[in-house]
Amino acid sequence: MKRSTKRSVDQQKSGRILGMPEQAVKIATVVVLIGIWEMLSQAGILNPLHFPRPSKLIATFWELVTVGYPTGITVWVHIKATVVRILQGYALAAVVAIPMGLAIGRSHLLLRATNPIITFARSIAVISLLPLAIVWFGVGELSRILLIAWGCFWAILTNTVQGARQVDVNYINAARMLSTSKTQLFFRVILPATLPRIFAGMKIGLGVGFMVIIAVEMVGTIKGLGALIQQARFYYSSHIAIDGMIFIGIFGLLISFTLDRLERIILPWAVGLEEVER
Amino acid sequence: MSKDGVEVLVDRITKCFGADGMALQDVSFRLFTNEFLSIVGRSGCGKSTLLNIIAGLLSPTEGKVLINGQPIHGPGQDRGMVFQHSGLFPWLTAVENIEFGPRNRGIPRDQRRARAMELIELVRLKGFENKYPRELSGGMQQRVAIARAMAMDPKILLMDEPFGALDQLTREDMQRELLRIWETKKKTILFVTHAILEAIFLSDRVIVFNSKPGYVKKEFVIDLPRPRQKSSPQFMRYYEEIYEAIG
Amino acid sequence: MNHSGFTKGLWASWLGFIILLVIWQCIATFKLINPAVFPGPLSIVHTAIFDVPGGRLLQHIGISLFRVALGFLFGLGAGVVLGVTCGWYLKLGSILRTPIELIRPIPPLAWIPIAIIWLGLGEPSKVLIIFLGAFFPVFTNTYKGMVTIDPLVVRAAQTLGLGGTKLLLRVVVPATLPDIATGMRIGWSYCFGCMVAAELIAANSGLGYLIMNARQVGEISIIIYGVIIIGVINLITDFIIQEVLIKRKLKWQYITT
Repeated sequence: MKRSTKRSVDQQKSGRILGMPEQAVKIATVVVLIGIWEMLSQAGILNPLHFPRPSKLIATFWELVTVGYPTGITVWVHIKATVVRILQGYALAAVVAIPMGLAIGRSHLLLRATNPIITFARSIAVISLLPLAIVWFGVGELSRILLIAWGCFWAILTNTVQGARQVDVNYINAARMLSTSKTQLFFRVILPATLPRIFAGMKIGLGVGFMVIIAVEMVGTIKGLGALIQQARFYYSSHIAIDGMIFIGIFGLLISFTLDRLERIILPWAVGLEEVER
Repeated sequence: MSKDGVEVLVDRITKCFGADGMALQDVSFRLFTNEFLSIVGRSGCGKSTLLNIIAGLLSPTEGKVLINGQPIHGPGQDRGMVFQHSGLFPWLTAVENIEFGPRNRGIPRDQRRARAMELIELVRLKGFENKYPRELSGGMQQRVAIARAMAMDPKILLMDEPFGALDQLTREDMQRELLRIWETKKKTILFVTHAILEAIFLSDRVIVFNSKPGYVKKEFVIDLPRPRQKSSPQFMRYYEEIYEAIG
Repeated sequence: MNHSGFTKGLWASWLGFIILLVIWQCIATFKLINPAVFPGPLSIVHTAIFDVPGGRLLQHIGISLFRVALGFLFGLGAGVVLGVTCGWYLKLGSILRTPIELIRPIPPLAWIPIAIIWLGLGEPSKVLIIFLGAFFPVFTNTYKGMVTIDPLVVRAAQTLGLGGTKLLLRVVVPATLPDIATGMRIGWSYCFGCMVAAELIAANSGLGYLIMNARQVGEISIIIYGVIIIGVINLITDFIIQEVLIKRKLKWQYITT
């Protein structure tokens, strides 16, 4: 059953609210909210310790960029630390999950054999493995990277498996009629056909990895965006915490934006073809 | 259209799908060189199953398919197939789709590109060769699918309701296109459809197929000169006879 | 592809699991890895039975589940109400969604420090995190469901004389239920992860705390045990939500599709 994105003709947005274009109203909303916040802070209604004034937040931005927090560790250092960890964990997960997913997806036996293990392992809260990782791999980078890898791994794996399983049999039949050997079938049909789903899994995996790393960085390190806000907590520096959260939010947006761009470049032919597994 | 030489002999094919029962029961018929043969019947899996067996994609439970006296073992270069939903590879452009088979065979780039472009011209898609399937209309996709199947130069073309997903007008265009290609390239075509008018318009012979289980009910030789008029009385008479035979 | 195929598959499922367990136990028995940090499945079972008093464990589980349930319900409620509102009153929705969409990119776990500054180390801060975990998926999916309703359904209802609130409650919201359900499923699993993280980082009760504490005391078996318990509870709750709520209440969706 096809659905359209506008609800009904009568309810259609005319694109204008209160006579102004929608975009303007949205921007105005944000400005108004910030303005109210500033005023409430000024009037002393909002506890400055809990809700620092927007003007202070802006000043803190500058401070984080130049002086850093803790002093000497600028926000760039934090970002770099986080990025490096994510990339390493993510790459590790992808390199293992994709071939494994392809193999499992194409083999009924492997699929059945690994299904219970995968289902269970997926449901283990990634963060709960943090103490274990610390015991086994110490408090250094390795345990953090492995945790991120574990977090990303399952999303990439399950989506790759589903993608490989669900290659349209029409493609396979068509290929068989065109003198395709088994190897050629795999590399020239199954792999490209699975690619959109692999990519979807990679997007989700990165999302999960991103969340994991923030939490992981709150334990045992002082470099990294997660560490930044955790430090802020210890010193009751709500302004640092909030600014840190904003940085994290922007960072997350950049990641998904980049991935979307990347997808459009690598897979120009696959627009909205896929159903995704969470 | 010469009728000399039996190209394909379908010999007592039976196919069972476990609990689903008998899909095909003792199906036998002949397909002659350069002939256009249609199989009509109600919508149901029997006809497609039969076509898949002849293609070599499925094995029969009993019986065999002989081509020029030799039994078939799986798909082969002598048979090409066009599916209802084109089955074009969405990650390849039109011309790359057509080159797919020759590329698998190791034919060098220039050669296969030249051949593919010939076929693009044959199916009248010049200018669209670098488009992806999703950029092409249904009719155009099927034309690419036909060209792709023909890139391997098969003697026999198997077509499984290839125009079923198209709208009526495009469908009629494609019917004429197919006839033109058939007459130009002199292929043997086995065409499956549930549209009786289509079958009569296109074919030398029409086999009426029963569904569940599938078997040959009746055979009709369409003795009309081409191009055929769907409105002519003889045409309508064939239609009535076949319609009644389907039952 | 029928009887024998199915049983073979069933065998394979268990076989994979059993092989894994056997390998695990072998590594432990032959001390391939330092047994102090790598207990085998048997010693985990031993720990489970003897070292963790059932009462205490249940207490922690209870606290954790209570937190998740509370936060989840709040998030579900707020998400559905706001999602429906924004989807029904589109212009108001445009305005309301602006701050929500701005906050959404911030992962719930990033809120932990500020939550503690605001609400201290007690229950409220954890419930806040869990609430955030549930809220965004539920809101996003509810809103999406509201704005992608088949217009034919709405128009059909209107020709039957339904309008205003009745239309909303009797037609539009039920039509959105599948999307709300999806949001619930996703929200629940986020909640769970948030709960564990929040407890690990900043709590003194609950399963997350149990694990973190065990690490400090050096009780590896308890850690692994805790991890497994969390996983099992996660599976069970997911199952309950999937089977009971969704398959029962949304039977109509499965049949028509």
